[in-house]
Amino acid sequence: MKIFIGAENIISPLGSSIKENFSKLKDNVSGIKVFNNAGFKKEDIYLSKIPISPVGKYGFLLDTCLKDIQKNIPPELFTSPKTILILSTTKGDIEKTLVGTIENSAGALQNKFSLKRFPIIVSNGCASGVIAINTTANLIRAGIYDNAIIVGCDVISDFVLYGFQSLFAISDEPCKPFDKNRKGITLGEGCAAVVLSNTNSIFKEPPIEYIEGTSSNDANHISGPSRTGEGLVRTVKNTLALADMNEKEIDFISAHGTGTIYNDDMESMAFGRLGLNHVPLNSLKGYFGHTLGAAGVIETAVCLQSMRNNILIKSLGFENQGTPKQLNIIFENIKQEIRTVLKTASGFGGCNASLILKKI
Amino acid sequence: MNGEIIFRKDEISADDFTKQIYKNSKLDYSKFYKMDLLSKFAFLGTEILKAHSKKITEYGDDEIALLFSNSVSSADTDIKFQKSYLEEGSPSPSLFVYTLPNILIGEIAIRNKWFGENLFTIFPKFDSDFFANYCNILLSKNTEACLCGWINILDENVDVFLFFVEKTEVNRINSPLNSEALSILYKK
Repeated sequence: MKIFIGAENIISPLGSSIKENFSKLKDNVSGIKVFNNAGFKKEDIYLSKIPISPVGKYGFLLDTCLKDIQKNIPPELFTSPKTILILSTTKGDIEKTLVGTIENSAGALQNKFSLKRFPIIVSNGCASGVIAINTTANLIRAGIYDNAIIVGCDVISDFVLYGFQSLFAISDEPCKPFDKNRKGITLGEGCAAVVLSNTNSIFKEPPIEYIEGTSSNDANHISGPSRTGEGLVRTVKNTLALADMNEKEIDFISAHGTGTIYNDDMESMAFGRLGLNHVPLNSLKGYFGHTLGAAGVIETAVCLQSMRNNILIKSLGFENQGTPKQLNIIFENIKQEIRTVLKTASGFGGCNASLILKKI
Repeated sequence: MNGEIIFRKDEISADDFTKQIYKNSKLDYSKFYKMDLLSKFAFLGTEILKAHSKKITEYGDDEIALLFSNSVSSADTDIKFQKSYLEEGSPSPSLFVYTLPNILIGEIAIRNKWFGENLFTIFPKFDSDFFANYCNILLSKNTEACLCGWINILDENVDVFLFFVEKTEVNRINSPLNSEALSILYKK
């Protein structure tokens, strides 16, 4: 059974539609700005923050993003019993309520959009978005649903910012994924959605084919990536094997690339081991910051746009090679036919995930 | 374990319930002490399953999928972490790393060097339909067995249920995997 993916949408500091976001990406504009006194000790912090009131922001982003999705697929699909909504998030609306916030947000969506089923919530740290998409595709392939809307959303909170500060993981300048002088992550917030379906014709714009996806734990450390990239190597190998493809067929890698020393080193080791270090690769964290549970969905939405427009987006923040294995990091936008894309993600809890997309 | 009580909490003991189980199971794994409650229960549950079914440890290192779920995410540790920066002077890194529910999957993977599939989902209550469907899906792909669990912890409320799903029946206590059977097992 073929699985189709499309109807992508993004809300971020770069814009409130997929068009606005992709146009800013093409111009290599970043959403990251400095926020005075934002840190735990009133430090100035670089963030990619959406300039609206924090009160109710989480619910507002979800509602707005999903309403736009309704314009790109038949609206009655939302209320079909064969459609499932998947919410990908790490912390939900944590500033509002500490206990039960994620479940509450999902319940609100069910009511608001008259969904037949309670949404499935995927919370796998920074790999949530990619895992949510893979999980959905598996459910559709098994015939349990025909269509799925996957929405990823996380917002910046004191909780998460102070936490990453306590780990000394926040960069004191906009993050520089894969660069020699990278100093850590920049937090971001955003909401993105994609639609998966077993039916090509539900999409207003022609979709892309979702080929396969898997996950793998690197069984190394709960908050530090394995030095060898074992989990990332395994998930990419498994995904290629299930897709019956080899690494030479990959035209572009949308990597995770957080901008921490260890993560980016680990990814370079993994792509080197996989023989993928010559493939053009970017990280979008220099534009959106690290949007945690939304990241995988935002970045997959951008992959779809890159494929539709045949443009590989520059990996913003990268200047000089500085990882154990040299990678082919995209230095300037490249206009090029892109048929097959590998999207990867890695996160706390040792979880790595990957998926492959292909033009029809 | 399989419907039988194998250990009872000693109300008089100075040790909390998890430490009592740890000692009773004669485990030697120093990482246990730094874990949050969610991970402690996930770890202990897995160790108990392994002790009762040696076959679990005979699978290849990427053949076991870890599928876990709950309704309150990592709320129990979230509360403690928030307290560290609101009331206790500074955000605690050792608490922060446990403020994601999927960390418990990482702890099990690290302990056992398991590189298989990972999924953490949040549902209002134990969803036997989802577990039955998703185990069957993974077993038809690149997975040979699924270690699953519902681990919901908030304050004094602890609801922990682990189960192991294999492709073939190996002994008499096994039930065929479907939503109804799972639901009955959970309610036991």
